[in-house]
Amino acid sequence: MSNIDNIKLPAIKEDFGTLHPINQTKDYLLNLLSEIGFAEVHGPEIETEEFNFDMLNIKKSHPARQMHDTFYTEGKTNVLRTHTSPVQIRSMLETKPPLAFTSAGKVYRKDDDATHLPMFHQIEGIYVDEHVTFANLKDLIHKILHNLFGTDIGIRFRPSYFPFTEPSAEVDILSNNGKWLEILGCGVINPVVLENCNIDSNKYSGLAFGLGIERIAMLKFGVNDIRDFYKSNLDFLAQFK
Amino acid sequence: MKLVYQDLIKFLSTKPSKDLLSKKLFQLGHEHEINGEIFDMELTPNRGDCLSLAGLARDLKVFFGSTDTLNLYEDNIEPLDINFVNFSPKDCPKISFLEIEIGEASTKYKSYLESYFHNIGGNKTNLFTDISNYISYELGQPTHCYDRNTIHGDIIFEKKDCNNTFKTLLGSEVALKGNNCIFAVNDEIVSLAGIMGGASTACSLNTKKVLIECAYFNPESIIGKSIKYNLASDAAHKFERGVDIESQEKVLRRFAKVVSDHAEIKTIKIKTFSSIDHHSLYISENVNKVNKILGTTISRNEYLNYLGELGFEISNKIKIPSHRHDIKNDNDLAEEVARIIGYDNIISTPIKIKKITSHETKNANHYIGKIETLLTKHGFSEIINSPFTSKVSKASIKIDNPLDSSRNNFRTSLRESLINNLLYNERRQKDSIKLFEISDIYTKDTEVFQQKKLGIIVSGRLGHNYKDFSKKLDYDYLNNLLNGSLDKHVFEITEIPRNELNTKKKDKIFYVEISIDDIPSNFYSDINLNEKNINFIDYKPISDYPSSTRDFSFSIDDLSQVEKIINILDEVSDDIIKNSYIFDFYKNEKTKTVKLGYRFIFQSHVKTLSDVEINDKVQNILGPILQMEGVSIPGM
Repeated sequence: MSNIDNIKLPAIKEDFGTLHPINQTKDYLLNLLSEIGFAEVHGPEIETEEFNFDMLNIKKSHPARQMHDTFYTEGKTNVLRTHTSPVQIRSMLETKPPLAFTSAGKVYRKDDDATHLPMFHQIEGIYVDEHVTFANLKDLIHKILHNLFGTDIGIRFRPSYFPFTEPSAEVDILSNNGKWLEILGCGVINPVVLENCNIDSNKYSGLAFGLGIERIAMLKFGVNDIRDFYKSNLDFLAQFK
Repeated sequence: MKLVYQDLIKFLSTKPSKDLLSKKLFQLGHEHEINGEIFDMELTPNRGDCLSLAGLARDLKVFFGSTDTLNLYEDNIEPLDINFVNFSPKDCPKISFLEIEIGEASTKYKSYLESYFHNIGGNKTNLFTDISNYISYELGQPTHCYDRNTIHGDIIFEKKDCNNTFKTLLGSEVALKGNNCIFAVNDEIVSLAGIMGGASTACSLNTKKVLIECAYFNPESIIGKSIKYNLASDAAHKFERGVDIESQEKVLRRFAKVVSDHAEIKTIKIKTFSSIDHHSLYISENVNKVNKILGTTISRNEYLNYLGELGFEISNKIKIPSHRHDIKNDNDLAEEVARIIGYDNIISTPIKIKKITSHETKNANHYIGKIETLLTKHGFSEIINSPFTSKVSKASIKIDNPLDSSRNNFRTSLRESLINNLLYNERRQKDSIKLFEISDIYTKDTEVFQQKKLGIIVSGRLGHNYKDFSKKLDYDYLNNLLNGSLDKHVFEITEIPRNELNTKKKDKIFYVEISIDDIPSNFYSDINLNEKNINFIDYKPISDYPSSTRDFSFSIDDLSQVEKIINILDEVSDDIIKNSYIFDFYKNEKTKTVKLGYRFIFQSHVKTLSDVEINDKVQNILGPILQMEGVSIPGM
């Protein structure tokens, strides 16, 4: 029979908490872009219409402005930013090329259904220098998607439309069920946007891209319902330790 | 926009399969879904020129050629004597009117018109309105039909400040406010220009004399009206995106031909009013610039061929076709070329970015990283909350157009959100809750003020192990964790009274909120930043059903069995066992026994478990253990 003094106290498992899976995904992407050469910048969530729309060539009357159903604040003095692009604009105004910035954070659109939330997260990047081309953009997007989904992933670029890029593209990946899944938007920065930021578009050109972080998190973690990220359910969050 | 596959390929000289057609549409940037014979197109807002069979076929011509499939009314058309005054030529620079009087109309539509309605056109109304809808499908130009016998005066077009009710041809009444482009006769508004016609001049089954309006409206004059008055129309959709100002005669001759297919035309007259000279846009030819944008090496001949296939006329400069409102500069032309080559066929060129480090961001991230390291190491889980709330204070920023009244302000604190998170988890049988959130908070004084804040909330058991189970998360816990390393009390810890909240729980709730800027730098000195290695785990869906706990207190006389019993219990695994742990472990020196308290948490993914089901499982677990010598559960 064992002596009671010899009975060891059972080991206590460390019970760690967890960073939110959206922030984990955001940090992963920021790290990836930092290794490529992008510097992280931040900007406000409450923005002026000028920076959220006008500087990005989204005219007041343009149908694209209605693509963004926008929250306005305090008698239309400001908006809740609908993308992180205003941060890029602010950075371009403060820095002479060459420049490479990335910005990630909360964005807001007036949407609330099974697949869309009024608040979600985006990460965007811009690179401006002499001789930046669409072919460079393709290389960058391949780098990002190969890192996220493996080098065998099927990738499709197809023309699209954004007022702030031209040529514009949306990029799809081929999912396991054989369907193309839209994953990000990108393009050559519209010269009008460069000129708005006092950058000589005859000398410089740029590329820009943006991804929805929830979309990447859902694909990488296998979460099917975007709303699960925001229920604060500890059983859900505990899986992401 | 829906279109029928067979209708589209009539415009193409080689007839692609649906698969090939689909592939090329995606290559050109025209997203769509295919349902049987219907292509449901989702065109980008800059390609209003593709909102029709002819328009889309024009874009596809480069791959599949085109056929001159449209029959037009070829006979001479007399000039129309019509009194029309345009007070706003900037809003409507060109408009044509075609007046047709018919004899008896056929009761049966020709197959092309009949199948349009059968497949996608919806309900028929009357001959002229039906043809108008069909022409819009075929050519992309909306037309409006007035019953000619209802118009007894001059027609005027103007942009005017309105404050009256307008009855649409659908029967709905709209309160017009502010500036609107309208058509009026004798001071009565007969049409909301570019959006919808009025009831009083609408065609009916009895209409034998029609006045067809075919206009170009400045898109900026139309945008926003459809949403403002909740009047969605095919016409508004097309005018907002821009139609082809030079197509009016062709459209009206096509309209007349379709009429003549269904009725004897007794009289036909036309008049065009063009207020300004439409100037085509010309862009200088610069293939080097296009290659510079794309990173390609296209020759000049290839460049000009591509543009020619898309309908661009090339002489000294490149003439942009009147239907292309989206082409303004070399970047737009580069995109055209890239579409034909195929984006996937453009070879990528390695990108090399010189690294620029932003020191300010590095520091901010560094501190936040350390806070995250400290808290997650101590079992805290991070939450991200929506900032919308119904709570109002003097400093809160109001949302002008919220989703609903419960979300009409921006929160000024993290507190309410974290309380809701806590209560949510308590309702799901969580008895040890440690949460944090780091978010920007926006308030207003004379201007918007932004602060990055840390919020922490705790309540319940200190931990799920025998050391911490009976202790509570309390003031001292948080104080030691946060203020322990500091020489002064920085983190203010407050208790949130339970009686303010709709809850029956008794455990005390403690809360901290602090601006990140107010945390002194020595707080971070002893925290070693974790290397962030993010593993993308395979998430397994959690259960929506409630969990139940079962606790067992073993008394173990045979001390040699202690470790074995713990191992058996730790290794119990079942679909309905969510978690288990030792909540009590006591060595009784006097009686030489060990008291072992073990908790099982049961939960099913498919239903609420019954006591019977749980008890059955418990019997299976306990059976072998209670058969061991020197092991008992007192009272059982």
